[in-house]
Amino acid sequence: MNPFKELIQSNRAWYCLDCGKCSSVCPISLYQVAEYTSPRLFIETALVCGEASTFDNSLLWSCLTCGRCTEICPSEVGFLDFIQEARQIARGKDLSGDCTHSGMIETWGRMMTDPKLQQNRLDWVGGDLELSADGDTIYFPGCLPYYQAAFGDLGIDGIGIATAAVKILNALGIQPQVLADERCCGHDQFWQGDLETFQRLAKLNLDLIRSTGAKRLITTCPECAYTLKNIYPEQVGDLGMEVLHLTELLAGTELAVQKADLPGPGAARATYQDPCRLGRFSGIYQEPRDLIEASGFQLVEMEHTGRASICCGTSCWSTCGQVNKKIQTERLKEARLTGAEILITACIKCQIHFKCAQHDSNLAEENQIVIRDITSIIAEQL
Amino acid sequence: MKTKQPGRRIIVFSCNWHAYNSLETAGKQGISYPSSVVPIRLSCLGRITPGMILKAFEQGAVGVFLMGCPPGDCHYVTGNQLVEQVFLETRSLLNLLGYRENQLQLDFLNAGDGAAFVENLQKIINAVEEPLENR
Repeated sequence: MNPFKELIQSNRAWYCLDCGKCSSVCPISLYQVAEYTSPRLFIETALVCGEASTFDNSLLWSCLTCGRCTEICPSEVGFLDFIQEARQIARGKDLSGDCTHSGMIETWGRMMTDPKLQQNRLDWVGGDLELSADGDTIYFPGCLPYYQAAFGDLGIDGIGIATAAVKILNALGIQPQVLADERCCGHDQFWQGDLETFQRLAKLNLDLIRSTGAKRLITTCPECAYTLKNIYPEQVGDLGMEVLHLTELLAGTELAVQKADLPGPGAARATYQDPCRLGRFSGIYQEPRDLIEASGFQLVEMEHTGRASICCGTSCWSTCGQVNKKIQTERLKEARLTGAEILITACIKCQIHFKCAQHDSNLAEENQIVIRDITSIIAEQL
Repeated sequence: MKTKQPGRRIIVFSCNWHAYNSLETAGKQGISYPSSVVPIRLSCLGRITPGMILKAFEQGAVGVFLMGCPPGDCHYVTGNQLVEQVFLETRSLLNLLGYRENQLQLDFLNAGDGAAFVENLQKIINAVEEPLENR
C-alpha cells in the first residue's frame, strides 16, 4: 500500500468524528493565531486533500507530540503515531522542521552514531559518589552532561540531577553502573521522524546495555525512560531488563513516605509540572507528587494538571518561536497563580524550556518562579 | 585535480574584516600555508554557532580555528564578544564528544597581519598532528 494511505489506515484517521475535542485542548491551536491549525483539521486535510497539503500544514512540525489530543479523542484516532509516521515519510522527501539551536543537538546525535566514538561524558563522576562496574542497576543520565554544556548559561541543573540521582541510589544501598559509551537514547530523532539515526543510536545502546549484565536501568529523564522501555522493543529490541524513571523506583521506599511532621506549618509551597513522557505517556502522576510532599513541601496544583497538564512548549527541538514562547509564559503564569514559590518538574527539557522563557527580557516579572528538578529536591532531604 | 588531503582538514571560520584581511595579506606576501586548511569567510564571527562548528567536525574536520577582529574593533560592534560564549560552549561539547581542547581555537587578529594568520594555522596543525601518546 502507498505509505500515506497506510498512515491513514493504521492510525484510525477514518474514525475521526470531527468533534473538535482535540482542537480545544491543543496548545498549538490555542496560540497559533497567524493561521488556524488543529489536530482535527490536520486529519481532515489528510483524508480529503491528500499528501501534499498535509505535508504543507504547519502542524506537521509544530506539533508538540504532547499527547493531549490523543488522550482526549473519543474515537481513538492515533494522532501521535500519525504525526510521528507522517514526519518519517516527509523526511524521505527532504522535508524537516526548523533546525533549532543551529542543528547542534541533531548534529551531536548523529556524531554519536559513530561506533568508534570515545566520549568523555563521566567528568561529573567522583567525590563521594559510589559506583560499581558490575552492579545490578545501571544509572542512565542520558544527555544531561551535553545539556549542561549547551544550556548551562540558563542556570539549569543538568549535572546536578545526575549527581543527585547517584546520591539517592547510594542512600538506598545501590551502587549503580554508569556507562562511558552511552549514547543519546534517540527520543528526539524518533519523534523528528529521523528513524535511521534513531535506529543507529538505539542499536549501539542496546548492545552496550545488554553487555553489562545488569537487571535494571534507572533514569532521571522521562524521555529516556519511555523510549528505552517502549520504543526500543518495537524498533530494535528489548533491553531484557526493567526500565524505571527514578520516581517509580522511589515510590516504594521510605523517601516517598510522608513524615508525620511534614509539611510543617509555614512549609514552602510547590507546584508540579507533569512532563508529557512521564504523565500522559507513562501514566506516572502520583509518585512524583508523593515524593514532593515527603520532601516537606506543601503541594499546590496548577489549573491544568495531571492528564490535562500542559506541555513545556517545545518538543524534540523541531520548532521554537512565538507560539512556543506563549505556551511557556502562560504555563509559568499558571504556576505563579497557585501561590507556589517553586515549580518542580521531573524532566530536564521542561527545565531548559521554562528557564529559556524566563530569560527573555521582554517578558514580564510574572513569569519568575524558582524551577527545580525533583531529583535535586529529593537528594537535598537525605 | 585533488589538492587537499582527505580526512585531515582544518576549517578556519574567519570574519570578513580584520581576520580575512590578514589571510589576504598572507597571500600577497607569499606566506604559504598547508592545503589542508579550508577558510570559510563569514560576514562577522558573531554569526558562528555551536551547530556550525560541530557540523564541521561531523563532516570530518580535525580542527576548527575561529578568527575575528581584535577586542573593541568589531565591524558590527559586538560580534567578537558574542563568539566567546559560543567558543566556550562548543569546547565543552567537543570535550564530551572525545575531542581535545586545542582542536577548537579562537584568536583575534589585526588587519594586515599575514604572519599572525599563518602562525595560528601552524599552532592548530601542530596540535592536531601531535601524536596520541603526548596528548
